Amino acid sequence: MSSVTFKSITKRFGSNEVLHDVGLQIADKEFLVLVGPSGCGKSTLLRMLAGLEETSEGEIHIGEKLVNHLPPRDREIAMVFQDYALYPHMTVAENMSFGLRLKGIAPDEVDRRVLKAANILQIEPLLKRTPRQLSGGQRQRVAIGRAIVREPKVFPFDEPLSNLDAKLREEMRIEIAKLHQKLATTIIYVTHDQVEAMTLATRIAVVNAGRIQQVGTPTDVFGRPENMFVAGFIGSPTMNFIEGVLLRENGVLRFKTEGVDVPVLGGTGAEPLGPATFGVRPEAISIERGGAGGDGVVAAEVEVVELLGYRKNVHLKVAGAKVLASVSAAFGGEPGEKVGLRFDPAGVHLFEKGTGRRIR
Amino acid sequence: MTERGARTAGLLTSQAILKAHHRREALKTALVHGALILACAVCVYPLLRILAVSLRPGDRIISTDLSIIPQGATMVSYARVFAETHFLFWLWNSLVITVATSLVGVALASTAAYAFSRFKFPGQRLGLSLLLGTQMLPAGMLILPLFLMIMRLKLMNTYLGMVIAYSVSSLPFSIWILKGYFDTIPRSLEEAALVDGTSVFGAFYRIVLPLSTPALAIAFLFNFTQAWNEYLVARVILTDSYKYTWTLGLFDLQGQYLTQWGMFAAASLLVTIPVMAVFLYSSKWLLTGMTLGGVKG
Amino acid sequence: MLAPVLQVLQFALLIAAAVAVLEGWLHYHFTRWEKSWFLPAGVLGTVTLVMAGAAASAGGLVDPGRMLSLGMGTAAAECLVALFFKHVVRGRHSLPIMLLAPAALGLGLLIAYPLVFEVYLAFHDLKLTTIMAWSRTGELPFVGLKHFKKVFTSSPLSEVSFWQLFLRTVWWTFINVFFHVAGGFVMALLLNSVTRGKGLYRMLLIVPWAMPQVVAVLAMRGEFHSQYGFVNVMLAKLAAWLPFLGDLGVGPVQWLGQHPFLTCTIINVWLGIPFMAVVILGGLQSISRHYYDAASLDGASAFQQFRMITLPLIRPVLAPAVTLGTVWTFNNINVIYLVTGQAGGTEDADILVSALYKAAFAFYRYSYSAAFALIVFLILFTFSMVWLKWSKGTESHYD
Repeated sequence: MSSVTFKSITKRFGSNEVLHDVGLQIADKEFLVLVGPSGCGKSTLLRMLAGLEETSEGEIHIGEKLVNHLPPRDREIAMVFQDYALYPHMTVAENMSFGLRLKGIAPDEVDRRVLKAANILQIEPLLKRTPRQLSGGQRQRVAIGRAIVREPKVFPFDEPLSNLDAKLREEMRIEIAKLHQKLATTIIYVTHDQVEAMTLATRIAVVNAGRIQQVGTPTDVFGRPENMFVAGFIGSPTMNFIEGVLLRENGVLRFKTEGVDVPVLGGTGAEPLGPATFGVRPEAISIERGGAGGDGVVAAEVEVVELLGYRKNVHLKVAGAKVLASVSAAFGGEPGEKVGLRFDPAGVHLFEKGTGRRIR
Repeated sequence: MTERGARTAGLLTSQAILKAHHRREALKTALVHGALILACAVCVYPLLRILAVSLRPGDRIISTDLSIIPQGATMVSYARVFAETHFLFWLWNSLVITVATSLVGVALASTAAYAFSRFKFPGQRLGLSLLLGTQMLPAGMLILPLFLMIMRLKLMNTYLGMVIAYSVSSLPFSIWILKGYFDTIPRSLEEAALVDGTSVFGAFYRIVLPLSTPALAIAFLFNFTQAWNEYLVARVILTDSYKYTWTLGLFDLQGQYLTQWGMFAAASLLVTIPVMAVFLYSSKWLLTGMTLGGVKG
Repeated sequence: MLAPVLQVLQFALLIAAAVAVLEGWLHYHFTRWEKSWFLPAGVLGTVTLVMAGAAASAGGLVDPGRMLSLGMGTAAAECLVALFFKHVVRGRHSLPIMLLAPAALGLGLLIAYPLVFEVYLAFHDLKLTTIMAWSRTGELPFVGLKHFKKVFTSSPLSEVSFWQLFLRTVWWTFINVFFHVAGGFVMALLLNSVTRGKGLYRMLLIVPWAMPQVVAVLAMRGEFHSQYGFVNVMLAKLAAWLPFLGDLGVGPVQWLGQHPFLTCTIINVWLGIPFMAVVILGGLQSISRHYYDAASLDGASAFQQFRMITLPLIRPVLAPAVTLGTVWTFNNINVIYLVTGQAGGTEDADILVSALYKAAFAFYRYSYSAAFALIVFLILFTFSMVWLKWSKGTESHYD
């Protein structure tokens, strides 16, 4: 059990810098998810922690110990790989015990630990099989089992669920959440899937273009995105963005653009006026049939309605912009219908134009 | 014609058309099989002739007889091969030289191929092209300097001299085959091993090598067949008939005297059958290895 | 029977020791370069190693003068190497270099060094009369370009001239590769069109390739024997059976005596077709059935399908096989030497490489052969470069 600290980490491949001055603290027993689009550097960060990549600049500590110079075997970690990386020429039991045997741990202790891990993951019947004879989900369990028998200080998971189909992924997600509760160990989990991030993490670090954009609890990251990237990346369907101007009229903060003129409630009064981006989550939009009316209601036209079962995704046209609203399946609007949109203040975010930083 | 009659006529003609079609197809298939059988005969017949000659009785070794199992077939020639020639010495010599050569070749090739497959280092591309370049050297060009070196080292007529002369000849090819195979093994396996606690070299010999047995077998087999069938270098370095490899022995048997044909044929068959069995069994892999090396070049 | 085993064991130990020394030396240079004592200790160690090695290989009896110069030379070289490791390498790339080192050393000693030695030989005079002196003193008279000139002015063997050999080589290579590819295509297409017995046919068809070449060539040589060989026996029977053919000149032929080149070509074509056939078959099987389905719906005839689909799609398989086959054929000493190489053999079938071998080992003209080899090397090298450039140039049409 251990904390992990990244101190101003920079990583270059040749002249190409993929991580810029990244700093991150992960507390003991925390489940931290690094989430971001592919190629953002999140996997590189994890591989540097494991010792599979050199660190160009900065320091990595596991607990109190500086590990930059240590080879992977001396870092007391156990990694779960995206493609599982089970040794094809060994049985499940041999796969799981490989690391322990290398350490020279006594055979009965090895057996005890393998059985215990197999028990936790419910893979005892598979111990004699080879990886070839396993299904994707079983391989995933074995890969996790191989990691937990080593009782490491830190568990890096590198996109462990991305090779599974949707149903299995959901099951394994729950398994991993349970596992974290059971083992109470530090987990650093890399994924590009924001749903996994939201459901698993105690804290999320959103990474983009080699920089950490925001670190916080899932609620924080979803409810108060620090910038437009985080706002757009977290949440499904993604947030709607409308470009416009922020101004004050009669003491009320208003957001205006062609076809849109809405008051922004609950401001501090210190917001910078001028060009800005208005963001609203699809779930925070309610649709009023029968046209626009009243302050804060925006006129729109229904373009396409998608039924998702219990919800409907309504694609709307607001003057020049496209807006997606996620509403109850009871919504009866048809394409071409003129409607009014009302925004729930809790789902509305404002961002500075240019920098994309959060205004409020 | 009634409507019904027309329909029957239509049926009849369509049946006739289909029948003719089937006949044409059957004829085509028969022709193809005929051609293939002829080609097979051309390919296999010389081997059968060796069998025929090896079975001929002593007074009819030289004859224009074309039958595969000659009249009065006997195993006398086989007995004479063992009694009158150093055939067993030749086989033993070939075996020792070939196995030693192949083991050295595969050992050197596997580590070098791993370096080429997994690491980036200065001169990597150049090294790979130079390896291919060695295949462009005219055959026989290196025999002379090698012969002179081995002579000066006083290694003529020794196994050591032969193994030295042979050991690197298949190396470039083996490296290409093995590199191609290593490239297909996911790196994450080695990374998992590193995390599990091996050193980099440990990941190579605990994970990569055991997984590469098919490719190692191909490389070994390639080295083996090259050395086993080699003639030109052996001719130069081995002059003592007890130290001959079987290729030299066979060549001399076939040499001037027609009377030795029976023994030549018997000995040929004895070395050919096992080698061919292994070769036929492994030809598919050997071929993928060869084209792999070729395509990537 | 025991002595050889001991020899092999001794050999294995020798190799293991050499590899261990090499790796140890490299390891030192990769890991200790930062130490202050790196340079002096390195020089001391390397000089000790080299001196010990020299003494061991010479049996301990070495004259002090030579040892001294060897030691000085080694020390100087090691200084340079150590400085290189200290200031340029700095411990980087240690693992790949150490993995490569044994193979590189082997290739260096047994391919690169012999090549350099070959160049040395070509400019000096080593022949049967000077070889004894050379093996004692290791010194040879320098003769400059004499041997290179002689390659073009006198016969490499006894009669045939360089240019005859050159043209014959080109012709030999072309005709063999042509028949290999054409025959290979026919066999592969036939094989690909049958469904039953494919495995059996395939196995039988690669018999010539699977047989040890020495056996195959010698056996075929026997079949071309003027009296008892299968070919002449059949021709005689044919002439007897159909007399008009005999009148047309069909009958036994002195294959080995009068038509050695033709004999060699027939044997080599027989030997080479199976390889091409199997390569092409592999290529054919990798072409998706769908292309042919689409083409036949489009109304393409069988020949058009072959030309528009099979040929272009098989190119990636065929091109390297043809390149390989060309180099192999150019370099084929085996067939020609085994057919014509015995005492008093003819020169009418020799190509460049076989003449090269015979010049050295049947005529004992070592330096001459070295110069000849370098010229052949240049020819092959030029050809390869032109070929590579050309085949790369055409590749782009398909990519």
